[in-house]
Amino acid sequence: MSANPEPPKAPAPPPPPAKDTFTVIFDGRPVEVPKNLNLIDAAKLAGVEIPHFCYHPRLSVVGQCRMCLVEIEGMPKIQAACTTPLKDGLSVKTTTEKVRSSRAATMEFLLINHPLDCPICDQAGECTLQDNSFGYGQQLSEYDEAKRQYPTFDRTPIGPNVIADMTRCIQCTRCIRFCQEIAGTSELTFLDRGGRTLVWTHDGGPLANEWSACAADVCPVGALTVRQFRFRSRVWYLQKTPSICPGCNIGCNNSIEARENVVYRFLPRLNPDVNDYWLCDHGRFLSESLNLRDVSKATWREAGAVRDLPVPAAVDRIAAEIRGAIETKGAASIFFLGSAHLSNEENFLLRKLADHLGCPNRDVVVDRGKPRKIKSQKGWITGEEAAPNFRGAREMGLTPGRGGYGLEAVLSGKSAPDVVIAADAEFGAAADDPAAVAALRKAKFLAVAARRSNALTRAADVVLPAASLAEKDGTFTNLQGRAQKFERAFLSKPPVRAHWELLLLLATALGWGDPDWTPAELRARIAEEVPGYGDRPESELDGGRLLKKGDFAWKGAL
Amino acid sequence: MDPVLTARIAKPGSRGIDGYVADGGYGAWKKVLSEGWTPERLTEEVKKSGLRGRGGAGFPTGVKWGFIPKDTKGKPVYLLCNADESEPGTFKDRLLMEKDPHQVVEGVILSAYAIKCRDAYIYIRGEFYDGARILEAAVAEAYAQGLLGEKIFGSAYSLDLTVHRGAGAYICGEETGLIESLEGKRGQPRIKPPFPAVSGVFGAPTIVNNVETLACVVHIVNRGAEWFAKIGRNEKNTGPKLYCLSGQVNRPGVYEAALGLQLKDLIFGDAYGRGMKDGRKVKAVIPGGASANMLTAAEIEDCPLDFDGVAAKGSMLGSAAIIVMNEDTCIVDAARNLSKFFSHESCGQCTPCREGTPWLHKVLDRIEEGAGRPEDIALLERICNQMANGMTICVFADAAIAGPLSSVKKFADEYRHHVENKRCLVGPRAEAAAVTV
Amino acid sequence: MSHTRYRVQEAGAPRPFPPEAMARIEKILKRYPTKQAALLPVLWVAQETWGWVSKESAEEVARLLGLPVSHVDGVLTFYTMYNLRPVGKHLLQFCTSISCHLAGAGRLVARCEKRLGIGLEETTADGKFTLLEVECIAGCDRAPSMMINDAYHEPMDEKKLDDLLDRLGRES
Repeated sequence: MSANPEPPKAPAPPPPPAKDTFTVIFDGRPVEVPKNLNLIDAAKLAGVEIPHFCYHPRLSVVGQCRMCLVEIEGMPKIQAACTTPLKDGLSVKTTTEKVRSSRAATMEFLLINHPLDCPICDQAGECTLQDNSFGYGQQLSEYDEAKRQYPTFDRTPIGPNVIADMTRCIQCTRCIRFCQEIAGTSELTFLDRGGRTLVWTHDGGPLANEWSACAADVCPVGALTVRQFRFRSRVWYLQKTPSICPGCNIGCNNSIEARENVVYRFLPRLNPDVNDYWLCDHGRFLSESLNLRDVSKATWREAGAVRDLPVPAAVDRIAAEIRGAIETKGAASIFFLGSAHLSNEENFLLRKLADHLGCPNRDVVVDRGKPRKIKSQKGWITGEEAAPNFRGAREMGLTPGRGGYGLEAVLSGKSAPDVVIAADAEFGAAADDPAAVAALRKAKFLAVAARRSNALTRAADVVLPAASLAEKDGTFTNLQGRAQKFERAFLSKPPVRAHWELLLLLATALGWGDPDWTPAELRARIAEEVPGYGDRPESELDGGRLLKKGDFAWKGAL
Repeated sequence: MDPVLTARIAKPGSRGIDGYVADGGYGAWKKVLSEGWTPERLTEEVKKSGLRGRGGAGFPTGVKWGFIPKDTKGKPVYLLCNADESEPGTFKDRLLMEKDPHQVVEGVILSAYAIKCRDAYIYIRGEFYDGARILEAAVAEAYAQGLLGEKIFGSAYSLDLTVHRGAGAYICGEETGLIESLEGKRGQPRIKPPFPAVSGVFGAPTIVNNVETLACVVHIVNRGAEWFAKIGRNEKNTGPKLYCLSGQVNRPGVYEAALGLQLKDLIFGDAYGRGMKDGRKVKAVIPGGASANMLTAAEIEDCPLDFDGVAAKGSMLGSAAIIVMNEDTCIVDAARNLSKFFSHESCGQCTPCREGTPWLHKVLDRIEEGAGRPEDIALLERICNQMANGMTICVFADAAIAGPLSSVKKFADEYRHHVENKRCLVGPRAEAAAVTV
Repeated sequence: MSHTRYRVQEAGAPRPFPPEAMARIEKILKRYPTKQAALLPVLWVAQETWGWVSKESAEEVARLLGLPVSHVDGVLTFYTMYNLRPVGKHLLQFCTSISCHLAGAGRLVARCEKRLGIGLEETTADGKFTLLEVECIAGCDRAPSMMINDAYHEPMDEKKLDDLLDRLGRES
């Protein structure tokens, strides 16, 4: 008798797919986190704050401050979170008595020699030492000895843009590591050792790399502060507005920190794909220039005399001149000059107006400046254009149309428009070059919008008062092709208006456009009409998140 | 026990290679090569001997060597001889290097062979000018006789040895502080893990061993692991040991004995310290260098001087530096002196040690100078307790608190006397006028 | 605040290494896989050449080894044996750690201060003596232990110290 056939074996179940995350348990709560994170950042994702000073996501881990101590299941002693490697099933406790007392101990040790400078220290209000002391320290001090000081290293410049008050230093080495690992210039070092340890430069300095103010950014206390900001404002009075640096075509994400319609400083916004946590000194200190203004009213020059007039009246005059030129000579007798300093919305409006009028003569230029560099998370980015939006302006269509000419032809005298409309009098170095201005002035009618006066505004027939970058919304397209929004920090003082408002007035006076458009609506039209701008995600437009100086207190985001 | 490590130190010409070889020196090395010992066999022998590190940590040496990964992924292995002897009360390595340098050199060579090391360094503290010169001369002699260099004695094994001088930093005796210093940096200890056996100097697997530990290896190879293991109090505490006796005894010095010598014998024995100077009595003993907890006179009864014996007494053998204090010693002054040492030597990297060591010193100074407050005693304990046990990157802080904390606990009355009377209980300043604050 | 090592004195002139020193440095460089690892030995060559390491020496060492000069400063000031300014002909180093302290090292230091009229870390006006306190130099069984330049003098006592200061003081 034959045996029963064996039932067919079920195929072995496929192995579970390998996870690309680890399960980390925070105070009993399991959370999936990416494998390559530092535990402090994993905690942030999980909404758990692990206070720290020396850890910085872009700098090497040193584990020196001893503030991030936590309990790890399976390890008897308290462990620094920043030096604890992630592994699947890691169980972290942050709320035990041991953790509480370790944090209090570290805070006590940090404060025994720390000067009570808060009333005179710029860092107050954005100071990690204050925050962690308040959150995790103890109120009373039992320290009854002399505090160690560095008297000759206080209140003294350590570089052209940074002032040192080393008595406040907590020896976290963020500044040293920044100079070594990001800037690559290694100006800073520890000197001496033990409780006498001092951060300083060789022979007094200077701390002078292109990003030296970032060393002050990363400093968790007021040991390194920015000279240009010193004593100017308490930080809690400042409002933060996301913006884009106007210094070059990298388009570093920054925030305008302003109060009562005055810009006090730029701080970086964290955008790992562009500027990461950094700003170069050149771009950062353009903040002050936003407060400068020479042109506050519309003016009209007639028979040698310059008169004020209301903006709508000035716009009407420009429209009349344009209509006149089209009637007598045709639309090709007009030249529209955009600007690499103006937004996509503004350059788009200008081009659309030129299209509407049938004028093929439109252009935008950019100066090539000293190369600027910034380190994104993935590597260095170099910007060689001295304005933020040449690419965007070109992509909005500001190139000569069929049969049209550009700025070079005008400057060389090859072409001679009757009417020149320069949307931005500060479009480039040519605006202050006598020969270039003379070439543009050959036109019968020259109208510009401006904030500062220069040779071009002094030569123009009509000057419209234009807003600064802080006083309007818009988008710049950077060298990566990334469209990034900047937002208005405060209203301009009437009659000053944004360039886009002025251009919209002119366009509607000439029969094109909707007077109620906002930059958002202009962006929607750009998305419809300009190739490649159709599906920009909000995240790209919004760019990086706001940073508190030194960036410690953000939970939930990296 | 017949001297092993110190057998040759009193001989005239003990430093030269000729005398060393005439006494059988480099016999172990030649045996290993000619008998074709594998590195694994040498390591096994050292494991069987029960040799524990003589630098202070007492970690089993053979086990430490075994931590080197089997696959070092193409990275060379380094042996670093820790000759940075700086623990107050310790002077045995100085003796070995100055008087019998070839014993050290041979120990380095054997141990380098066991871990398949191609380049070894002796990191010697800068203050040992003579020691460095003597070692360099010995190394040169070893090269000249083909005991170092390329393809030694026709074997496949090559080894280079360099004497590297430190420049004044106790923390460079910590193995990762030593590694950082050898790399040409400030001697700031590293985060562990990774441990040096996996990633040490120049990013490569590294073993750091003390001078005396390496010297022991020579004798383990010559006379066998079993012989070594029979010496000493038990199978966990084996081999000959050098003890450094100092303080107010009649005969301070380096004494060699089987590991586990009784503390009382070391202090009072005729072969050893011969008791207290001027007939004074013992008040306190630090059994293992400045980093060890103090023992009271009562506690020195039945205290075998080995790793486990001293640990059982609530202290540590450490570098076997036994410092004896008599009844005229102000303990607060002694604690102050110890705290000054740690305050000077802290590398400054991490917060609790950088800030805590000077704080301890300042409080102890204030108490000693007559300006102590009643709350200072509890304050001292609190400062100590919040500096150690994982609060810091390395155990320097745990070392720094040992003397002050143990003295506050065991000599509380003396501290209270200082606070209440604003002067020492004993010692030259006991009769001094009170200092007004 | 104990004596700090924040300032490396200037020599006032560039400090290239003389040929014998460069020859030693070449040999040293061969013993290490990185130039940085040769830093402490090369700084010793500088100190042995001029008696101390000046700011200009530090810059020259940085140049030779391809290191940021701030790194050299960091090392130079961390290790106490590098002299950051000129020292006297006789560098008196008294150990004041526990065993030597118990043996009366403090009295010897006080005696020196009194006889020489200088404090710690100071140099006599005639350039003969610099006075230092140092931590344990492993002479504990011959306490109180001290060194003068690179030589041990142990155990030291007040009489020997007086004789030594007399003798060394008399030398030209």
